Amino acid sequence: MHLPEGILPLPITLGGYVAAGLVAAFCVRRIRAQVDPLSQVPQAALMTATFFIASLVSFPIPPVSVHLLLNGLLGVLLGWFAFPAILVGLFLQAVMFGHGGVTTLGVNALLLGLPALAAYGLFQLRACCPLLLTRRFTLLLSFLAGALAVGLALLLFTSILLVGLPAHVDAALERRALMTLILAYLPVLFLEGLLTAMLVGFFLRVSPGLIERR
Amino acid sequence: MMLKVVKVALLLALLPVADRLLAHAAIVKGQEVSGVWVEAIYETGEPMAEAQVTVYGPDNPTKPLMTGLTDASGVFTFVPPPEAAGLWVVQVRQAGHGAMVSIPLGATLQEGRPAVTAASSAAGVTGTQRLVMAAAVVWGFVGTALFFSRRGRGNAST
Repeated sequence: MHLPEGILPLPITLGGYVAAGLVAAFCVRRIRAQVDPLSQVPQAALMTATFFIASLVSFPIPPVSVHLLLNGLLGVLLGWFAFPAILVGLFLQAVMFGHGGVTTLGVNALLLGLPALAAYGLFQLRACCPLLLTRRFTLLLSFLAGALAVGLALLLFTSILLVGLPAHVDAALERRALMTLILAYLPVLFLEGLLTAMLVGFFLRVSPGLIERR
Repeated sequence: MMLKVVKVALLLALLPVADRLLAHAAIVKGQEVSGVWVEAIYETGEPMAEAQVTVYGPDNPTKPLMTGLTDASGVFTFVPPPEAAGLWVVQVRQAGHGAMVSIPLGATLQEGRPAVTAASSAAGVTGTQRLVMAAAVVWGFVGTALFFSRRGRGNAST
């Protein structure tokens, strides 16, 4: 789910940088508006580390190999911090391990970060209806948020690839390869939903403040 | 006598085009040349089978010179024209994954010696190195977390 260097045409990567910069600036504004913006930094730092590691551990789902994205989890646990966290994590992955690329950093941040914010938005539905603030509903929402983030990331990934496909690349063949990849990521979608729900359940038990603050 | 001269003249006139008139045989030549061998694998070691390959020549790095597909073991071979010395760029892509490799081709190729080997940037880091790099980054994040959580406690106590 990381676009490497040289896959996308230059205008798209530049546009990605501009858009990612705007989104990051917006997130930072929202973070600054919080009562104690720095209080969430330790959590954000640890989640960024988790996100950074997650993409290094790939497991095979033949014929491709996939890795966890964890963007939904970051969205649910970090809120507005999720986007900057993903940006930092992606940058380190790109420069240290060549996962993704420096030129595609903006696009990749949008691919993973926007779904993370969407997951946060979905999880926030709890806040609008106090009657629904049961443990079971929270867990259901976190499952959906985790799965939604992977699904949206897949959707964005596929569409941006197909939009930026150069003329000399066989589009039918690429679409087939993409379809294989999407099918391989469907179990990941389910798994991440489950993982997000499990972790939210864990935090609800151990340190409910972490979840209820959102 | 006159007729003979005319006949000879006719024959002579036909000689230059005789090649073309009689040319219906196919000619196949064989010669050993040096080519470029490209192998594309995922970091897991899996070959990138049926991935799309684009080859850019040294003259124009934006216009693809040739395209093709890797075989089941992720291998693609091509023969660059002998006069094309310079930096050749080969890109292999499949479903949004892929990498580029720059292959400097020069005099070595023309002399028939094995060409230079080159690899894309992700290759060449051992597992241990990766582990240490990852650990260093994670430790940086943990340090950040500890630093800011101390700050939080300090404020609370004052």
